[in-house]
Amino acid sequence: MRRARNLAAGLAAGAAVTALSVALVRRRVGPLRFTRGLAALQLVLRGGVRYASNAPRLFAAAGEHRQRLRNDLALQTAEDVTVTLGAMKGVLVKLGQMASYVDDGLAPPVRRTLSRLQDSIPPMSPELAAQMVREELGLPPEQAFAQWDPEPIAAASIGQVHRAITHDGRAVAVKVQYPGIAETMAADLDNVALLRKMLKITAPNQDVDALVDELRERVLEELDYRQEAANQRLLAAYYDGHPTIHVPAIIDELSTRRVVTSELSDGARFAELANWSQEERDLAGETIYRFVFRSLYEVHAFNGDPHPGNYLFHGHGRVTFLDFGLVKHFTADDLNPLMQMARRLCVDQDPEAFRASLEEAGFLVPGAPLSTDAIVEHLAVFYEMIRESRTLTVTSDYASAVVRRFFDVRSPVAAYASVPRSYIILQRINLGLFALLGDLRATANWRAIAEEIWPFMQAPPSTPMGEAEMRWRARRKLAA
Amino acid sequence: MTADQYAAATGLVERSAAAQVTGIPEHPADDGYFGPASVTWRMSTDLSGVIAGLRSLLTQALHPLAMAGVDQHSDWREDPVGRLAATAAYLSTVTFGERAAAEQVSARVRRIHEHVRGVDTVTGRPYAAGDPGLLLWVHAAMVDSVIAASNLFGAGLSAQDGDRYVAEMATAAELIGVPAGEVPRSLADLERYLASVRSELRCTPAASESMAYLLDPPGLDPDIAEIWQDVRDGAVASLPEWARDLYGFDAPPLSPARRGEIRQALGILDAVYLGEPGVLEARQRIALRIRAARRA
Repeated sequence: MRRARNLAAGLAAGAAVTALSVALVRRRVGPLRFTRGLAALQLVLRGGVRYASNAPRLFAAAGEHRQRLRNDLALQTAEDVTVTLGAMKGVLVKLGQMASYVDDGLAPPVRRTLSRLQDSIPPMSPELAAQMVREELGLPPEQAFAQWDPEPIAAASIGQVHRAITHDGRAVAVKVQYPGIAETMAADLDNVALLRKMLKITAPNQDVDALVDELRERVLEELDYRQEAANQRLLAAYYDGHPTIHVPAIIDELSTRRVVTSELSDGARFAELANWSQEERDLAGETIYRFVFRSLYEVHAFNGDPHPGNYLFHGHGRVTFLDFGLVKHFTADDLNPLMQMARRLCVDQDPEAFRASLEEAGFLVPGAPLSTDAIVEHLAVFYEMIRESRTLTVTSDYASAVVRRFFDVRSPVAAYASVPRSYIILQRINLGLFALLGDLRATANWRAIAEEIWPFMQAPPSTPMGEAEMRWRARRKLAA
Repeated sequence: MTADQYAAATGLVERSAAAQVTGIPEHPADDGYFGPASVTWRMSTDLSGVIAGLRSLLTQALHPLAMAGVDQHSDWREDPVGRLAATAAYLSTVTFGERAAAEQVSARVRRIHEHVRGVDTVTGRPYAAGDPGLLLWVHAAMVDSVIAASNLFGAGLSAQDGDRYVAEMATAAELIGVPAGEVPRSLADLERYLASVRSELRCTPAASESMAYLLDPPGLDPDIAEIWQDVRDGAVASLPEWARDLYGFDAPPLSPARRGEIRQALGILDAVYLGEPGVLEARQRIALRIRAARRA
């Protein structure tokens, strides 16, 4: 595999995408109005917003009464699933989850609507979950596994997670999809007229079809757990032996289209990091940053779901990454322009060349009547972490500023900007990353780390984690 | 009177959701007149509910005397949303409330009806809202609409459940003052009754105006207004052809894709309803009782 270049381009590029995608959110009138449900959908489709619901929702954590209520309301048949999640509701939940980032994106009524919608979905009854396992693995769960916990430990948006122990003694997490949900949601996504209509209001003059197609493909992909397993396998193999990054192994023989079994991981949840030392939080931030850009530049894959619930923390910067349902694969041709943009702005410090890159990649209308200064000024906030080599703390204020700029529809730059389809998903990953690092108040010399990973620089390690990573890379090469 | 005298439909979703919630008791002393095993309860939670409601109004308004009563007496123009919410609360209480509560709201409506009398300016005929004939029309149009809307956009009803539903709903008609012997108790009865009334129906100026307002109410939240277009198309498509002809609606046949789209719009509207205070809890109360009844 040819190595795609650069890295901080990722941030930068993602950043540029983010910034430039303001065109996608241009509305008829002034400031953004966030009303309720539909606005949720529009928002979702724009791909912004905060982690409304932290962590995969833990049924057990919700109190005994609630637990009993959920059990009493459990989905018992495939028909129950259709009634509960049909007619766009499953799609809304999914898109809402995809939307989920950054603090001031979601107005309280929208957050409430999405979270109520999610609350309205009960788990499968133990019998229904067992029936799914039997259909997929050919054996009832008690036989497919040495031990099976019939109570789900967490809700996934279109399924739920059970704990089990395999016959060879491995503790595993088994994600079981709701019966019929893939067909129901696929049918809803086939009928995209409604989505298109919503988007047209949101984004007149934009390439709505491309956006709808991209969203549709991503959601459909997520409905097939084999895709997720393949993504996870790919990243688990790449990060095998990494000093701080861990991706749980997939158990191939117990994974199918609607059931996916992976090694069970345990660790601290994102919310618990609030009580950890700043040093630990900085290290966690560094690992996440390295993971995002190594994955992009080395594996050409980007996990599209940087939800705080998708990380488990073990201290000393060690992080387990979960949930690869929404991974976007890039080609070298996709990545090169991003890298070039970062290189020209941050390394060469050549604004005119930077502008030319934006135009070549299709982010900016060539010859737009804007000064290059205005363009750079508009985008600077997205490149702030990597424009110069210095120690910098990412704050929530900074993350919010990025989001505000993202939604700054009145900027003159917005009128000439557009986002090529293959980059659409980068927007939200990027907003999500800023939000996470901001929550951690993570401090590092991000530029120096970027230079390590930028394929056109490959600078020597700038931190102890970088040194450990270099040794890991050397071992990898040796093994290859 | 012209349509611009109508008040805006601000708060339509919020107020109808709140009204529905009020009818669903937390710790009921009895199961009311229908109960968790009834087809009526199932129909009342069908996704097609809002289309059934709009279709009911479109149909009911075609009776000149029923329309005249609304036109000349109700506060419909000044507070259309309040009027619709009051109806939603009444229906919700009769359906899900305890027997005493259902009797109480029905008695209240009967008392109000006593004062609603007059002469229809179009036909020159006198009317009284308490007239069992008019009450029966309003009842039958609603029952027919719930079935039609569910069959097109909701979970649908088997012929057997359709008969059961018509028979169950006879109780609601009796509560409001229709003599038991006059209420249809099967789908065939209902069809016969509707056919027998058809010659009296017409689209008066009042009907035309009121329905034009309902089909395109000003003041809706822009996002809801989008969805309302689909609701409206669904309601018009679900009308019998003679009713569309009376209104002069020119509706193309409903394609499967369009039907799917309308269902999606209903799903989104439903999600919006769920976001309103108390709605999720009220639905869970109903769902739990239906489950318990199924187990018993």
